[in-house]
Amino acid sequence: MSGPVVHDPMTLPVDDNVNAYTFCVELKGSQWFLQKGKMIAYYGSIEFNGIGYGRLDRLVRTSFHSPLHASDWVVAEGSGKMLLADRSFDVNSYDLENGNLTIRSGNLLAYQPTLALKQSIVPGFLTLIGTGKFVAASNGPVVFMEPPIRVDPQALVGWADCPSPCHHYDHGYMSGVMGGVRALTGIGGASGEEHQFEFVGAGTVLLQSSEALMAEQATGHVPQQAGVPGGHGTPGQPGVPRLPGQLGGLQRRFGL
Amino acid sequence: MPFREINSKMIEAQVGPGQKLFSQRGAMLAYKGEVSFTPNIQGGQGGIASMIGRRVAGEATPLMTVEGSGTVMFGHGGHHIQLINLTGETLYVEADRLLAFDGTLQQGTMFMGSQGGVMGMVRGQVTGQGLFTTTLKGHGAVAVMAHGGVIEIPITPQRPVHVDPQAYVAHHGDVRNKLSTALGWRDMVGRGSGEAFQLELSGNGAVYVQASEEKL
Repeated sequence: MSGPVVHDPMTLPVDDNVNAYTFCVELKGSQWFLQKGKMIAYYGSIEFNGIGYGRLDRLVRTSFHSPLHASDWVVAEGSGKMLLADRSFDVNSYDLENGNLTIRSGNLLAYQPTLALKQSIVPGFLTLIGTGKFVAASNGPVVFMEPPIRVDPQALVGWADCPSPCHHYDHGYMSGVMGGVRALTGIGGASGEEHQFEFVGAGTVLLQSSEALMAEQATGHVPQQAGVPGGHGTPGQPGVPRLPGQLGGLQRRFGL
Repeated sequence: MPFREINSKMIEAQVGPGQKLFSQRGAMLAYKGEVSFTPNIQGGQGGIASMIGRRVAGEATPLMTVEGSGTVMFGHGGHHIQLINLTGETLYVEADRLLAFDGTLQQGTMFMGSQGGVMGMVRGQVTGQGLFTTTLKGHGAVAVMAHGGVIEIPITPQRPVHVDPQAYVAHHGDVRNKLSTALGWRDMVGRGSGEAFQLELSGNGAVYVQASEEKL
């Protein structure tokens, strides 16, 4: 074992990982979008401008389509090298070639403006479309899986190439006589695995290896419009008084 | 061997018909195939008596039974995972460190006082094990969680191993452990080394140590 590796501007990698937790981006008069607070150091002359700044209007118009998310993002511009990291989570870059990838909004750190960032229909997720590089963080290394697969909502990082995401509910253990007793009394509790995201179709699903979530970045609200998922609050359920210990929310969801 | 390590924080388990796994509730990350997860009232194996035993001992961690056929991925809370293969010996581990284990393993509870009387109970307090600890016995695999990476240190009769009680994760084999204290006047005046208590393990087997003094 040798001592710590000392980097200088020349030896820092170009658009590559410095270690598992840090990523280095080289700017040569180019621009990158990055989430606020993810830059930990930089060399050279780099300017960080908030989105909504007049001069960046055109750039934002072509590659940033999440207007209500704008306050969380900045544009880095100039020449030099900057280091990105996020709370000691594993950081990795991904290349998209004329592709699309949807990712949990809190996990995306930065992306090249050649990609277009859009809000996904699935609340809390962002979709990147086009060609270019982006940097994402995950709790533990990312694992790539092929559909069909069912994923715990917290372990999901994102998905690429449009497999179809849907909800899957599994509550077989709540049926039958013993199940009824369990559902009514709460004895035995819930397994915590009644709800998964199910992916079918062609594509790739990205998993992070733990259920510890990164702080959710608000993706902003979707327009209040008929037909838009999450566009309005759920209508109130007529109140059935719940007995202590009942698995109320779950039961109602499963119609028990 | 139903478990396979995917990376340091994630394991994959194969389930087939007639096979059973126990895992901590909510620790499933993803699965392929037809697999069902049933919360386990008894918190593990055995009948009502074992359940009451575990409740009393405070070793009743919420478990679920995993059955069906397919592949399941487990991970929890970003903790590192250590796979331990048991070939007939007994593993001593805290119940809340158990991520998943083979249904063929026999689960039991052990009173810390049974090894070294009062000193054993003191030891339980210092290691955070409490008065009771869980035992798993038989042939099969266990996935144990730890904060930070885990190393396995073999214990041989000639070489007892001393472990910081807070870094202790689990041990297996025919091992006797005792708490050795090195309290001196320095500790009394607040100038101690901070390593006054150590766990001394001797016999034949192995101890698992985590690279952190943080509890789960």
